Amino acid sequence: MKESAARMLVEGLKEAGIEVVTCLPEGLLKPLYNMLRADKDLKLIFVTNEGEGAGIAAGAWLGGKKSVVIMENSGLRMSTEVLARLGLTHGIPVMMIMSHRGEIGEANWWGIAHSQTMEPILKALNIPYIIIRDEGEIKGAIRRASRHMATSLYHVALVMSGGTLEGDYV
Amino acid sequence: MKRFDGLKVINRFISQDDLVVVSLGGVVDEWHNIRPSGGNLFLEILGGITPVALGLAIALPHRKVFSLDTDGSFFMNTGVLCTLGNLQPQNLTVIILDNGCYECIGGPPTPSAGVVDIAKMAVGAGIITARTVRTLEELEQALADASKKKGLSYIVLKLEPGTVRFPLEKRKISDGFEDKYNFLRHVERLEKVIIKPPCEQK
Repeated sequence: MKESAARMLVEGLKEAGIEVVTCLPEGLLKPLYNMLRADKDLKLIFVTNEGEGAGIAAGAWLGGKKSVVIMENSGLRMSTEVLARLGLTHGIPVMMIMSHRGEIGEANWWGIAHSQTMEPILKALNIPYIIIRDEGEIKGAIRRASRHMATSLYHVALVMSGGTLEGDYV
Repeated sequence: MKRFDGLKVINRFISQDDLVVVSLGGVVDEWHNIRPSGGNLFLEILGGITPVALGLAIALPHRKVFSLDTDGSFFMNTGVLCTLGNLQPQNLTVIILDNGCYECIGGPPTPSAGVVDIAKMAVGAGIITARTVRTLEELEQALADASKKKGLSYIVLKLEPGTVRFPLEKRKISDGFEDKYNFLRHVERLEKVIIKPPCEQK
């Protein structure tokens, strides 16, 4: 992720009143993780798998603290079971921010699959999402997603893509 | 030790304002009858019970939170042990109701029916006070110790299989959505916050 975009993201989280961040770090959003670790206003929790991250985020939200799961889009596959039960069986929402690994232009052969399954899984779980390609959109998207989640009591996802990422994705 | 008897002991150490996240299976109707309360969150999510309880504990550090988890659910997501070990939430007590089987589907064994020791796994993950109890007396002692100290508690109950069945009028009839709303509104009242806002007023 571009440093400027990562800063927008952190500020966007705080402006939206998000306090708890569960996270399985990955390569595409790299500068973001040190910024999150350094931030004293955000409670950052590294998890062992993204399903655990979804569960902790859901618990925090039920306790009145807005939360978000930050992960690679492959984490969607890992967390699908927990997301399905939280969302479809209980109506307990989770907000996700994921990196767009496998976006057109991907240079890593192992990353292609992550993009192939991303939108089909989001659609299978009926999760509304925004693919963000310009860092100017980040703060507004976080604010809207947070509001949408409280209104719908269902999951919402933001995908960091295109020009928000370091490298040739524009 | 039978689960129902263990739950009755556990309930004596839970106050009205404490929050309890409950796993699925035979524990549901038993707990619903022992502690009817809006402060129970019943979840049909194997592997999700302790993570959600952890999230609640983090969000509400002044509130005592209990995870009433089961061995089948524990094994679905053992990674959370590591997160608990490193975070050490002071207001969380994790209880594993370990009957060594997926009882409600006919009793096929879970790994703890064999050689796997859940409390030892927890100790290895840094939850150094994790312990196993095999009798009601040991359970009572463990809960008394947990209530006296401020710190993460992790208690594994080794249980014989056995589920108390209730007549229809005593069973929990709420589904997952109703359980969510009951708990959500309970937390809103308890903490005097609004988590799910009303629609806009024009």
